[in-house]
Amino acid sequence: MIEIKKVNNRPLNLLERIYVWEIFKGFLVTSRHFFVNLFFPGRIITIQYPEVTRPLEYAAKGRTLHRLKLRADGSPKCVACFLCATACPAYCIHIEAAEYTDNPVEKYPAVFDVDLSRCVMCGMCVEACPEDAIAMDTEIIPGGVLKREQLYLTRDKLFKNLPGEPSLKGAANRLANEYSREAGRQ
Amino acid sequence: MERLKPLIALLNLDLLLFIAVSAVKAGFFLGAIMGFTAFLTWVERKLSSLMQDRIGPNRAAIFGFTLLGLFHPIADGIKLMMKEDFVPARADKVLFTLAPIITLVPVLAAFAVIPFGNYVDIMGYRVDLVIAKLPLGLLYVLAVSGFAIYGTFLAGWASKSNFALLGALRGAAQMISYEVVLGLTLVGLLMIYGTADLQQIVRAQGRLLFGFIPAWGIVYQFPAFLLFLTAAMAENKRTPFDVVEGESEIIGYFMEYSSMRFAVFMFAEFIEIILVAMLAATLFLGGWQIPYLSEAGFLFPGGRSIAVYPYAVALAQMAAFALKTAFMCWVLMTLRWTVPRFRFDQVMKLAWQGVLPLSLLNILVTGLALVLAGKL
Repeated sequence: MIEIKKVNNRPLNLLERIYVWEIFKGFLVTSRHFFVNLFFPGRIITIQYPEVTRPLEYAAKGRTLHRLKLRADGSPKCVACFLCATACPAYCIHIEAAEYTDNPVEKYPAVFDVDLSRCVMCGMCVEACPEDAIAMDTEIIPGGVLKREQLYLTRDKLFKNLPGEPSLKGAANRLANEYSREAGRQ
Repeated sequence: MERLKPLIALLNLDLLLFIAVSAVKAGFFLGAIMGFTAFLTWVERKLSSLMQDRIGPNRAAIFGFTLLGLFHPIADGIKLMMKEDFVPARADKVLFTLAPIITLVPVLAAFAVIPFGNYVDIMGYRVDLVIAKLPLGLLYVLAVSGFAIYGTFLAGWASKSNFALLGALRGAAQMISYEVVLGLTLVGLLMIYGTADLQQIVRAQGRLLFGFIPAWGIVYQFPAFLLFLTAAMAENKRTPFDVVEGESEIIGYFMEYSSMRFAVFMFAEFIEIILVAMLAATLFLGGWQIPYLSEAGFLFPGGRSIAVYPYAVALAQMAAFALKTAFMCWVLMTLRWTVPRFRFDQVMKLAWQGVLPLSLLNILVTGLALVLAGKL
């Protein structure tokens, strides 16, 4: 059963019923805010958004613009397995796979498009990726654009390594690592 | 040519001079008011934002300079001019066009009798710093501001929209009620100063009470000042009394208006703020009077005096009047952003059971005091 909370408001006293004094008190509150903000504009917590952004914290960093990582030799880490496109709840990832001529082990994405106009920034693609190839840690928040095409990211726009990369560690791409190690020996 | 001779004789130098001086005064005063109105639209947005801990308009820029958003009134004007000038299909086109004009003209006309300074002698010619010297100035202001109701009601009626009509009906009830009250709140002042000429009222406020308190209206009639502000804000139809508009329920009598026709209603509302502020300053805050400053210079209660050049006195008094007007505008705007909207029954109850009996009581007490003081 829904509990009903009964609020017992104090009956107004005469001064409050006359209301003029209460208006004056409210007037003092608003004018105090006015003068404080007028003479100390730095106290206003509003951020001038597109020019100034708030530093992102914790998980929010991992929900920013997508990128595709690259290996040391410049080839994409992505093996075009379609797991991210399958996991995507908004169907915003479009992949077309192709094969390396010299590598019988894995494929590469000939087309990898992310449609930001449909993306819900949920991070499922990052969770799904077995190769640690897609990431959402660029800390760029996709904002308003003037043309629709600007929201359509193709493969080459997505390729990006952060400073300190490429790293061949981690992930489950042992095969690829072995391949590149062998390629290095020859 | 023979017939025109008496007419030409009428157009003597004095009359021509009078016409020229009046035109210059009207142009100067109305120009200042129009400029201040545009400025006030910016002030309203900036002031409300500051008291709500926001920044407010700051984007409109010319060559990258924003000047604290001062270009926003210009941007607003351009935007309103570019909008479609729409007239509803079933609206009464003549009245629909006439309504904004009827709203704006009386508000502007009321400024004719408001004194913005004492007088200046220019080469022996005495120029009174008021557009029209009218012995019944106060009654004229009340009569002319009574016209504003026609604009409101015609707008609601002519647009043939139910919401607009609802707003107009509320507006008619509210404005007629407060018109009565507005006049009665000022009777006390008329009794004390014994004149309805606003210039004479301001001159009378230059006297000193007990030798050191400036005899401003607010000193004699503080309750009347509060009652006048209440009634004037209700006449102005701004927030505590904006059931006429009520953005969240009915849009109000100008619901069907767009483009510059709507802008005229908006502009008239802002000019009315200035009118109310100027009336409050003239009647209660001593108009252009600066305490202890007379035509010759400062004359302090202790007996010390400082001589001041007459033109400097006139300029200082005009500046004082502008300052008092600006202060009253600030008070009105801060009140507008402080007090939440009254319900319609509360508005009517306040007029007929609150302000009206209190102003009648004020008249009674003022009369008794005048009789006891032996001034009547």
